[in-house]
Amino acid sequence: MLGWVRDIANRRELVWILIERNLKIRYKSSFLGFFWSLLSPLFLIFIYSLFLGVLKFPIHLPTLVTGIIAWQFLAMCMGDSLYSIVGNANLVTKAAFPRMILPLSMVGANALNFLFSFVVLSVYLVFAGASFGGAGWLPLIMLTQAALCLGMAMIVGSANVFFRDTEHVMSVIMLAWFFLSPVIYEPEMIMEGFPRWVQVAFYLNPMSGILTAYRAALLTPPAVDGGLVAMSFGVAWAVFGAGLLVFRAAEPRFGDEL
Amino acid sequence: MSGPESSGPAIVVERMGKRFRLQRSGTRTIKSAMLDLMRNRGAGKNAFWALQDMNFVVNRGETLGIVGANGAGKSTLLSLLAGTKVPTTGSIRTTGTISSLLELGAGFHPDLTGRENVFLAGAIMGLSRRQMRERFDAIVDFAGMRDFIDQPVKHYSSGMYVRLGFSVAVEVDPDILLIDEVLAVGDENFQKKCLQKIDAFRRAGKTMLIISHDLSTIQTISDRILFLDQGRIEGIGDPREVIGRYRALARSRQTGGYEREWGTGEARIEGVTFEDESGRETDLFESGGTVRCRIRYRAERRIEEPVFGFGLSDANARLIFGSNMQIEGFRLPAIEGEGEVVLDLGGLPVAAGHYLFSFSLHSSDHRTNYHRLDHCFAITVTSDSRFEGVCRIPCAWSAPGPA
Repeated sequence: MLGWVRDIANRRELVWILIERNLKIRYKSSFLGFFWSLLSPLFLIFIYSLFLGVLKFPIHLPTLVTGIIAWQFLAMCMGDSLYSIVGNANLVTKAAFPRMILPLSMVGANALNFLFSFVVLSVYLVFAGASFGGAGWLPLIMLTQAALCLGMAMIVGSANVFFRDTEHVMSVIMLAWFFLSPVIYEPEMIMEGFPRWVQVAFYLNPMSGILTAYRAALLTPPAVDGGLVAMSFGVAWAVFGAGLLVFRAAEPRFGDEL
Repeated sequence: MSGPESSGPAIVVERMGKRFRLQRSGTRTIKSAMLDLMRNRGAGKNAFWALQDMNFVVNRGETLGIVGANGAGKSTLLSLLAGTKVPTTGSIRTTGTISSLLELGAGFHPDLTGRENVFLAGAIMGLSRRQMRERFDAIVDFAGMRDFIDQPVKHYSSGMYVRLGFSVAVEVDPDILLIDEVLAVGDENFQKKCLQKIDAFRRAGKTMLIISHDLSTIQTISDRILFLDQGRIEGIGDPREVIGRYRALARSRQTGGYEREWGTGEARIEGVTFEDESGRETDLFESGGTVRCRIRYRAERRIEEPVFGFGLSDANARLIFGSNMQIEGFRLPAIEGEGEVVLDLGGLPVAAGHYLFSFSLHSSDHRTNYHRLDHCFAITVTSDSRFEGVCRIPCAWSAPGPA
């Protein structure tokens, strides 16, 4: 395990170059380039502010927008994770390097993108009069979400090497996950009137606590369910651990399957 | 990056084997995996050993050529050495950095520029940006692509792709260089540059493993040859000897069991090689092209007025044409010790297909057969022209008007 961390630390140049490549490819031949990572959250906030009144969602705009921008980090990672190994088949079959660098640099690129969006979000929240009361917790929250993303990416990326219908399974899971996470609603709402198993699933869902924690850190929520946040963080890091185990077992066979 | 400090061999392969699962057509899905489970098809039935019982050592500074028929496991062996595949059994130990030319430029991303791809390729091979900056000019100059280096590589021609890939792989200055069939790509000029670079590598004491079907080139550049056949080591050692064995085996596979050899052995035909019009050694000819046969012999005692003969048969050993020195009016005074005679065929007027050469060495009165090799040498003939039968007879059509 320690050897692994050292191997990757030794190849941090490669991690950076791959992060750079992932970002460059994302904005390849686009006129505004990197500005898109600032523009898209801006448009997102603008559009939701226009339609929130019409849709009559019982949620404040800052709460909603915080949820959506944080959710997008996960959603982007999950979409990219399918191809983090398969899409780099020519590298995997050509040269030996720690394969973990591929999902790691993919999550890294999305994390940078998320940070840009987060800057835009913060500027908006300042105008919306947010308190930023628990901003000191943000690094831990972001790190935990990144660990969750990387854990999932290692599992999904490996699975897609062996089973090419992972993509279809993923789109179903992501839809369910979205509605099971408090992105467009607040935790209290799902606790009323839903079957017990939905509530249990909601409680075990690592995104429930992560989204709640972001809102608690930035906004001024009425009361934060500390148990939910602790549980989610535990599950998120457990997913990261599971991802490491799966990836380690699958990695030696990548070269044969691709 | 200088060579590693410790002494000892560069590569040690011990009892190494590689097993593959056989893939059915199409990609694997969860459904097919479930079906396999239900039918209880374990790994055993759908697996085959691509390589077995590999035991060999490559010394530092040595150039090892690898030969074998298609599917013998040559490329699999190189990917295992490169570390992109993992052995099923046994072990591979390598000392020093490895750079592979498995698929030149395969790691390049089409949307990135040449410059960006060079840095990416360097990082993949373990070099820092600083080290790459130092080598960058040399890479671009060797590839001869100063003008295109900031263009996305998707606009490159395949030749440019290969040139840049080769330049990166050699300029990263690895301790061990793995080369798979690159001697066959690029134009003649670039090939010459590659061979020069390979020679420079040899002189710099680098370890190289080279796969090639170009047997005469690989024989001259290798210190030793590893001959793979059906996933096993069939021979390793002196280039001349091992390539001779490879040729003999390849031939016997092609001659379809018609080959026969006999004679008194007082003088022997040691080997025959074939050359095309450009003087290149080959077993592949175009219909109508010339063939030069170089027949090497060895006579244990002095033999006066020996007669060499030959025959060309189709793949079913039916004789098409045969002749000898006597018939053609060539008199060889005597042979003793080793030597060579040359037979020139002015044009092969045969249809596309496989053909078998026979050679003989007998006394001028035909009483003694010193050595006969019937149907022992296979050649392949290709043709653009479609005609019926075995042999092309010059013909012309015309339609004279009514008288």
